Amino acid sequence: MRRGAWLGLLIPLVLAVAWELAVRHGLASGRLMPPPSRLAQTARALSRSGELQTHVLATTQRVGLGFAIGAVAGTVLAMLNGASGLALRLLDPSVQALRAIPSIAWVPLFILWLGIFETSKLALIALGVFFPVYLGLLTAIQSVDRKLIEVGRVFGLSRTEIALRVTWPAVMPAWIAALRTGLGLGFMFVVAAELMGASEGLGYLLLDGQQMGRADTILVAMIVFAVLGKTADSLLVAASRPVLRWQDTHRLRL
Amino acid sequence: MSALLVRGLGKTYADDTEALRGVDVHVGEGEIVAILGGSGCGKTTLLRLIAGLDEASAGTIAVTGENTVISAAFQEPRLLPWLTAGANIAFGGRRLGAAERRDRTQSLLRRIGLAGYGKRWPRELSGGQQQRVAIARALIGHPGVLLLDEPFSALDTFTRASLHDLLLDLWRELQPTVQMVTHDIEEAVVLADRIVVMRPHPGRVQETLRVGLPRPRDRLAPEFDLVKRTALRAVNRSPAPPPEPHRTGPGVSPWL
Repeated sequence: MRRGAWLGLLIPLVLAVAWELAVRHGLASGRLMPPPSRLAQTARALSRSGELQTHVLATTQRVGLGFAIGAVAGTVLAMLNGASGLALRLLDPSVQALRAIPSIAWVPLFILWLGIFETSKLALIALGVFFPVYLGLLTAIQSVDRKLIEVGRVFGLSRTEIALRVTWPAVMPAWIAALRTGLGLGFMFVVAAELMGASEGLGYLLLDGQQMGRADTILVAMIVFAVLGKTADSLLVAASRPVLRWQDTHRLRL
Repeated sequence: MSALLVRGLGKTYADDTEALRGVDVHVGEGEIVAILGGSGCGKTTLLRLIAGLDEASAGTIAVTGENTVISAAFQEPRLLPWLTAGANIAFGGRRLGAAERRDRTQSLLRRIGLAGYGKRWPRELSGGQQQRVAIARALIGHPGVLLLDEPFSALDTFTRASLHDLLLDLWRELQPTVQMVTHDIEEAVVLADRIVVMRPHPGRVQETLRVGLPRPRDRLAPEFDLVKRTALRAVNRSPAPPPEPHRTGPGVSPWL
């Protein structure tokens, strides 16, 4: 680990210990803001009953599938519009117009069209992932250094070869960054989708905690979200590392 | 072997700027011809047209002979940053078989003094090293015609001189027909068999000089200096760019 990385843990640790002591000595009730020991207890209980695993699995599946659909659609459309001026003029204005609609605004329509179960949730997540991936990749394709494209042309590469051997590697870093943004939004929209009606998932757990007046359940769900999101992002970064080795390594350490 | 024949080449851009008018250039088999001129005389435009990067408005470009493969090195190295030095060289040899491409990459790395640097990333190389890789990339595919667009202009004097020697060594060995562009008179006299001096606005050929010095050329020899002066005189005969047209406000007569 980087030197001094432990320093960042100092404030959360001090706050946690201070809160724990405050509740133990009766300075605070801890009902609305339960101390760390209560959270640990709740988490243990939830995982012993298998409830936590069910919720994590449901949320992970939704994010995974929704992200996959949104990322593939965004990537394919950006590649098409990046490659063809006709496609760009035909499709991009409509995509940009749709992008101007806040994604959550689609929820009522999705529920009407697709029902209240999985399909409408996946549609919302996929939509949220689609836009940043599309926009990030298209912008990158459009700003590839013309001088590098010319190298491909001088050495007699065909359009397809230039796309595969020059443009694609050149946009790879921006594409990975767009996927990371998309993944983050995927987690945001899975919460929205699950808050709107689900029988399982971490979002359901949040809502359940609110309705039962269990702040500890809510906080546990939030912490699990943080861990899931960070893990997913780290996996994405690790998977992209081999193809981004040519970049300055310190740029990857985020 | 191959020769390059440019006839009546003209280029007018979409905004009506005329960059080239009626340019004739002939580069014989295995010859090195330097296009010499200041900025705005269309020398880079000429090279871009020959390389097929832009379309000519008039005239013809023909590569004759058994080998019509054209390749180029630019003012900047333009290495692909996601490929190692070796892979960048190999990029230029896509027409070769895999085994030959590998062998030639290795031998070119040795020839440009970068044996053992094949696995380095471009960003880990100095400017001169990058430009050497770019020249190797241009040569790996056995080009009949090699185009060089001021490839040494961004380098310091010492690096430039060593790259001149390297280029001449490789040229002797591989015998490509070389069409280069430069604004450096000494560079033209060191490298070229013939020097085509261009004049600006629009770019045209002013005159062609035969260098006629045996190689290797001694930059300090009096004959060398003589040719350099002849070239300098030719460049000076090419008129300076005309002054910007006098701008007048609306309704103001230009005769006032």
